[in-house]
Parts: sequence; structure tokens; C-alpha cells
Amino acid sequence: MASSRFMPSSNVNEPYLLTPQLAVRVAIIAFLALAVFAVLFLRLWALQVLSGDRYLAQANDNRVRTLRIDAARGAILDRNGDVLVSNVAGTRVELWPADLPKTWPAELRELRALQQVTGVPVRQMLARMKQHGSDPLTPVVVQVGLHQDTIFYLEEHKADFPGVQLAESWLRTYPHQSLAAQVLGYVGEISPQEYKQLQTRGYGATDSIGQAGVESEYDSYLRGVDGSAQLTVDSLGRPKSAAKLEALPKPGDALRLTLDVGLQRAAERALRFGIQTARANGDTHANGGSIVALDPRDGSVLAMASYPTYQPSIFAGRTDPAKLAPLLNETAAERDNHPGLNRAIDVGYPPGSTFKPVTALAAMQEHLLNPYDSIPCTPTFTAYKQVFHNWTPLIDTGMDLQTALAESCDTYFYELGRRFYVLPKYRGHPLQLWARKFGLGESTGIDLSPETKGLIPDPAWRCKTYGGPPCAGYVDRIWKPGYSIQLAIGQGQVLVTPLQMARFYAMIANGGKLVSPHVAEDVELTATSGQPARVLRRFAAQPPATVGVDASALTDVQQGLYEATHASTGTSSGVFGAFPVSIAGKTGSAEKLVRLPGYPNPVNLTQSWWCGYGPYDSPTIVVCALIENGGHGGVAAAPAALKVFEQYFHQTAPITTHASD
Amino acid sequence: MAIEAVDSRRLRGARETDVSGIGLLRRLDWVLMLALGCTVGYGLWAINGITLHDPSGSSLTHQALYAFAGAVVFTIALFIDPDVYRRWKRPIYVGTAGVMLLVLAGGSVSHGSKRWISLPGGFTFQPSEFGKVLFVLVIAGVLADRARGVNDALTPLRAIGYGLVPILLVFVQPDIGTALVYTAALAAVLFVSGVRWAHLGVLAAIAVGGALLVLWLLPASGINVLKPYQAARLTGFTHPSSDPRGATYNLRQSITAVGAGGLRGRGVLGATQTRLNYLPEHATDFAFASLAEERGFFGVSILLLLYLLIVWRALKIVAGARDLYCAVVAGGIAFMFLFQVFVNSAMTMGIAPITGIPLPFVSVGGSSIITNFLALGVLQAIHMRRGGRRR
Repeated sequence: MASSRFMPSSNVNEPYLLTPQLAVRVAIIAFLALAVFAVLFLRLWALQVLSGDRYLAQANDNRVRTLRIDAARGAILDRNGDVLVSNVAGTRVELWPADLPKTWPAELRELRALQQVTGVPVRQMLARMKQHGSDPLTPVVVQVGLHQDTIFYLEEHKADFPGVQLAESWLRTYPHQSLAAQVLGYVGEISPQEYKQLQTRGYGATDSIGQAGVESEYDSYLRGVDGSAQLTVDSLGRPKSAAKLEALPKPGDALRLTLDVGLQRAAERALRFGIQTARANGDTHANGGSIVALDPRDGSVLAMASYPTYQPSIFAGRTDPAKLAPLLNETAAERDNHPGLNRAIDVGYPPGSTFKPVTALAAMQEHLLNPYDSIPCTPTFTAYKQVFHNWTPLIDTGMDLQTALAESCDTYFYELGRRFYVLPKYRGHPLQLWARKFGLGESTGIDLSPETKGLIPDPAWRCKTYGGPPCAGYVDRIWKPGYSIQLAIGQGQVLVTPLQMARFYAMIANGGKLVSPHVAEDVELTATSGQPARVLRRFAAQPPATVGVDASALTDVQQGLYEATHASTGTSSGVFGAFPVSIAGKTGSAEKLVRLPGYPNPVNLTQSWWCGYGPYDSPTIVVCALIENGGHGGVAAAPAALKVFEQYFHQTAPITTHASD
Repeated sequence: MAIEAVDSRRLRGARETDVSGIGLLRRLDWVLMLALGCTVGYGLWAINGITLHDPSGSSLTHQALYAFAGAVVFTIALFIDPDVYRRWKRPIYVGTAGVMLLVLAGGSVSHGSKRWISLPGGFTFQPSEFGKVLFVLVIAGVLADRARGVNDALTPLRAIGYGLVPILLVFVQPDIGTALVYTAALAAVLFVSGVRWAHLGVLAAIAVGGALLVLWLLPASGINVLKPYQAARLTGFTHPSSDPRGATYNLRQSITAVGAGGLRGRGVLGATQTRLNYLPEHATDFAFASLAEERGFFGVSILLLLYLLIVWRALKIVAGARDLYCAVVAGGIAFMFLFQVFVNSAMTMGIAPITGIPLPFVSVGGSSIITNFLALGVLQAIHMRRGGRRR
């Protein structure tokens, strides 16, 4: 055979029969094949039939992007409809983690490019993404309020930025700049903790939310309802269809406040004026304060100023960490003297002599004082081997209540304090009780937060705070006579907020009724073309509650306050005596240990107070002014308060002399 | 022995007369022919749906052209006596290894690996695909030539020695999937040729130990035989959620696609995983998942049953082969086919490592289709030349 040399050697070319060995092995392979197909079918059944719905939902999540259409946030108006906060359109750039490049180097390259365009550090973007954790379908907002040329660049280079999405959004705008900043608050992205709490109330993981002031308090009215649109995208995040509108956004409702822009501005100017006056007078540490103006008839807040302050607009759009630091970071806040703090409600100060009407009213109610009795007003007052000084040593005469209030005689009130101290145990602690009834040391319930309660010290509080063995069972032992005597003139550990004091003076002004202070008047639908504004919900103020003070006692105190501003020896007659509208009010100079930057130990500085109301016959406004470290009340706080009255009554008057305490 | 030798001559005589005639064609396995026809037709229909929305359009025309070329190769293979491969095994072996070296030297790079040789007219050619069948033909020859010494440990070692060269050449391309297919074919060939169980056991132990060494022990001690991404792909299926946007992205998308298909499938338009390209490589490596998404459990079942039919007929052919060489070749081809079907479909469902193995007769790719036709052609050629009695 020609081909024989190619043939294999004969030994393997024997006829082949299916040997039992091969049969077994073929059978094994056949068995293996059946097992393999069984596994494949089982797995296929498990995936497609048993959990098909789950994977179908997953596949749909893959391709459907629900875009948020931001609802315009409601405007905030003053009582006359003047716009305090509204919106401007802005563009939002966001990242969809699911559509970013799938490899880390490519992702980093893209984020770096985005950093160059927007200026937002890559680290911040990554941190944001990490914050939203496992959910790749929640977009991460990189920035709101892009520059026009940034928008153009991103639009043009869309292909280089998979997973980057531009969307229309709204930015808060503040026509009056920093006016009423602490009352208004600001808007920021919801924090993960807030989101966890509010998730069930319709908040999304990247929503904006009011972070302070009325923006936070009335967020549910202001925020509106975001709309949504659905977009089908391919695996590179490229849109494959036009966005399909699912729901139109419903803009938020407008919020009308009780504030008056004119009066608010006057109050803020007055505050700065008061601080300057104090500094000019030698109280060089004067650096902050607050002025509150209330309507004593219903508790509506007409003005609420706090200094130092800030521009809420720094939270809108391209934020600057350096500008935000004083509001978000404790150290920076301390350096700038806490501009975000609403001193009207969130800081307690010793009230000093402005507290004397409390002592007077409580003493009369408890029958410890006849207002027409004469009590000696002397340079010092000695009780229990302790000497208490009057603010002026140049006096030595007997006084009735009116004169004592007018001249702010300390020894008169020391005596009242002593009378409270010597009360038998079964009478309890009526001075503190009355102070609390007047709303001091209690939260006012104003629709702003956070609010501090302040402090009216009593033995139970001392016991709780300082504890110690004598406390258990012998509560009253740790309450020394000096505490009652100091409290009577608003010194010692007593702390009140300017708003609490304003509320108390409103009670004096309106004849004994404690009002509920509030800043929101109503929620309304803003007027659009063809439709007038419509009130949706009015926040009916709690009707003023009667405290139970005798009318005669009140009249005595009212007269005392009138004397204080009009009698020749009144502590603020020099400020208010010549004012065409009759004003009644009380100065206060409260000593407080203040920690000053650069000083190792706290310094004893005088807090300057003035609280009062007008017109005397039918009061329509209460003003309470406080200048931190401002010295005597008549020097800084009283002139500042006058500025507010001037704006309110559209009247001016020269300040004749500076009185004291 | 003598009688058998006479028989052998008689058989050879019969064979020689049949080769010239049409009579040989009558001995075709018509069930296998039907299964092949149905699989090819079904595969073309499936791939048309899978690639319909790709940017480059449907691959149906290309694929049909390849199938036609495959049919031609199949027909030619029918008329080549398997003994010819056995006789020419050395040139085949050297030629295949040479072409693989050529690929490494000057092949075109795609997806980071050198597997293809560019041909004029925009075609590419993947030698390692064709090599699968040639590999079985050569190694089977090496073993069958030493059938008497099969109990000797040297025989399987020699076969393994022959086998390791192409396996390594494919591995360094790098193409781990194809290297695994070669290894599976080598194992099958050793198994069918009758290597002793004890030897097989030792080899299996070495294979398992080697895998552990490469995937676990060496990386743990700082030596990486595989590139980290390769290791991640191989082991990723055991923990698919570990890196949803990285190594296991493909796997998650693939499982999602399969699951979303449900009982009846989402249809071509509704199959968003495929259409919007969430499922990567859906025309090639992940064609199974894409088919599962578009045609559902029913659609995939048809394909799997057709595969099962092919494997069953292939095993019947092993049992009826006229000599040891043919049996070993048929066994190798049958097992290799089974292995490819399993690894490809199982990987898309998350129960096997992810490797770049095409799904027979479905995945887009000329080399793969033509090779599968060649494999079945060789099977048919063996069947046609089976023993005298008709089965």
C-alpha cells in the first residue's frame, strides 16, 4: 500500500470493541453531563422563575433615573408683605454614582476634571458619595448655583462626564442681606441624621431643609413638593429618551412674619448704636447684644435683633468654607463671638435691676410690702453679718416703692429680699414662684429654636446642681440669705433671656396677662397674576393668660416705671423724658463673669439692660434692649431702646443727659 | 488475536469501498445532524435578537456567513478519515503551536490580550479556537499510539507533556478561559483512553493543589501568577456583592439580566439589560445571559436541550467508535463541548468563574462557530466509520 508508511503501527490498529472499562467511563461522562444540565436548569429556574420579579425590578432600577424637579421654596414676608427671603434660579450639578466610570482610575480622572471645572475638591465629592453609602441611585449634589460658563463647559463636554447631571434648582436670596438673620435661619442640605428621622415624612436623601430659625420651624410649609421626571439611560448614563414628566413641582407657600422690616432695621441699627455708645463711654468690651420689640397685646414679635450677625446668603449656592466656619465650627464661632447665636432667646443673662419689678410684685402679692411704706435707701445694707452695697453711695433717705423703682434703689430691694428669706418654711419660695409665673426661667414657647429656659435659682436647683451631703433632707440649709437678697435685685445666679424680659414687661404693660410670643403670622399663597394672595393658615396666637397679679400692685409698678423715665431722679429720664410719646421703663446693670478671649480668668463685666413700653396709657410696643458688657443700663441700652421707639412712633427726641443704673 | 486481525482487514476493506461511495453518507447520525441544524438555526435567531440594538447593528449576516463556512468545513471533515489526523498529528501539533507563537509575536491586541491574527478583508482569526479540536486530535493520537502502555505512568505524562505547551501558549496570551477548555479536553482524553484511576486521582489532586496555589497560597505570600483582575474574576462569583461597581459588576448585571428574563423573557425591545448595554459583552461571553433575558426560561431551555441532545449523541458515538483513537477523540470532543456549555452558561448565572469562553453556536465569532462545526464534523466522520453492525 502506497500509504502504508503513514499508517500507525499495527498494534493500535486492532479492531476495537467497546471494552467494559470504556463503557463505564462513558457512562460516568454521561452521568456528569446529566448532572451538569440538571444544575443549569435548577439555577435557571431559581433565577428566572423563583426570583424573577426581584431581578426585573433591579433591571428597571438600572435604567430608570428619577430626576428631581426642585420646587421653589416659599417666600418669607414681613407683616406688611415686604419680601425678606425669596428665590433665584440656579443650576445644580449632581453625580449619579451608578453612572460613573466602572474603574477607579477612570472615575478619579473624571472627578478630577470636575474639580477643575467646579472647584469642589474631589475629597468632598467622595465624602458625599460615601455619605449616601450603598445606594448608587441617589444623586449626590456637588454644587448649586454654577457659573454660566461652567454650565456651558459641562454641557459641551457632556460625553467626558458620564454620571454628571445638570438640573435646574433654586437658591435662597435675601433682599435685605443680613436683616433678621437669626430669625430667618438658613437652608442647607439635609444631614444623614435628619434624613433618618424625616425619611417617613417625605424628605429625600439630598433634599434641602431649613437649618435654623423660621426656615427650620416652618420647613414643612415652605418646602413645597418636588416634582419628578423619569429618564431612561444606558449603561454609560447617556439618556435614551426624553425625560418623562411624572409630577409637576408644587412650590412652597409663603410665610408671613410678624416682624416689621422698618422696625427690625431700626432695632439692628440701634443695637450697633448702643454698642458704639458703650464703647465710647469706656465699656470697651461691649461686643454684642440683643433687642426685642413685642406687641404687648398679642405677643407678636415686631423686631428681634441679635449682634453680631451674619449673611444667610453665604449658605446659598457656591459656599465658601471660610465664611461658613463661624456658623458651623465651635472654635471659629468663638473667635467671631457666635454670629449664628440668637441672643434674644438662646442666651441667659443676669437681669440686674430690670428684675426689680418682679420682686416688687411678688412682695406685694405675698403681703410682704406696702408700696407706700417708707424703706430706707442707704449706701449699704447689712444683714447676717454681710454688707451689701447700693449702686450709689450718695443717698440716705426713706423711699416708697415708686421712688425706689424710679431711682433703682438697691437697699430697698435688699430689704425685700431679706423679707422673702425669713419667711417660714411652709410659705415655700414665693419670689421664685412668681418669677416663673411671669415667664422667667421658663421657655416662652416662641416658634423659634433653640431656646434656653434661663434660670431662676432656688434651693432645689442648688441642691441638684451642687449636691453634697447637707442637701439630702436639709434642702433649705444650702440656701444662704445672700442668695435671696441678691436675687431681689436680679443678681447672683439668675439668668433670663431678653425675650423673657420683654414678655414680662408686656405683662406689666397689658395689665397682667402673659402673652405667647411668636414670629409667624400666617401661611399664604403668594399672589400670582390674576390671583390675589390667599391666607391658607393663620397661626392664631395663644390668647394671653392672666397671671393673677392684683391690678393695684401692677398700677404701683407701672407708676414706678413711669417715674423712672420721667421723674428728675429717674434712671432713664435723661433718655426718655423729652420723648413726645410717654414711655415707661427700667434700666438694669447686671454684673456677670465674662470669659474674654485673651484673659486667663473670667472678668466681672456689667451687662447693660433697658426694658420698657409705650405709650404709657395704652401700650402698643414693649422694647427690651441688652448690650453685652455695655456698662450701666442708662448709658448703652436705654439710648438704643429709644432708637426703636423713635422708628416705631416716627418721633425723635434729644437725649439730655446720661443717667445711671 | 489472529481472528481479530482478519476482522480488522475486512473492516478496512469495507471502509475503503465506502469512502468512495454515497453509501457513507447514509451512515450519518441523522439525530445529531438534526440537533446541529436546529442549534445553528436557533443560535442565529437568538444572536439576531441579542445584537439587534447594538451600535454596529445585528450580527446575523456575519454569523450566517460564518455558519455557512462552518458547514463547508463540516462537510469536508466528513470525508476525512480520522486516521489521517492521527498520521499527521506531528505536523498538526507543530503547526498549531507555531501559529500560537505567531499570535504572541504579532497578533492583534483586544481587551488586553493577544488572541487574534488579522486577515485581509477585516476578518480576524483566533488560532486557539481551532486549536481546541486539533489539540484533541493530537493528544488522542499520542495516547492511542501507546494504548498498550496506558497503565504505565509514563504514557499519561507524555500526553500531558504534549498538552502543556499549547495550554501555556494560550494561558500567556492571556486567555484563561480557553486554557481551561484545553485542560478539560486533556483530562477527558486521558480519562477515555483508559489511564488508571490511581493516576487520574494523582493528577486531579495535583490540579486542585495547583489551583489553590495559584489562587490562594501564592497570592497570600505575595507572588501573583495571575494578574489581580484575573484572580478577581475567577473568584468573584463566590461573593458577587463585594465590589458592585468593579470586578463583579459584569456578574451582577449578568445575573440581573438572567433573572429579569423570567419565564417567558422580556423580548428584544424589553430586554433593557442587553439593549442599553448594561450587560457587557452580551454578543460574546455573556450571550447566554442576554438570551435568557430576551427569551426567558422557555427560550433557554430549548437551547440547553439541544446541547444535551448533541452531548448525548456524541457519547453514543464514543461508545460505537471503530477504534480507541476514534473513541478518545470523540470523548474529548464531547467533554470539551459539555465543558464549554457549562462554564459559559454557569458563569452568567454566578455559579462558575467568569472566563472568556464562547457559547457554542450562539456567541458572535467566526473562529468559534467554525471550530464547533469542525468538531461535530469529526464526530460524524467517526460515526460514519463505526463498526460493521449498524447501530
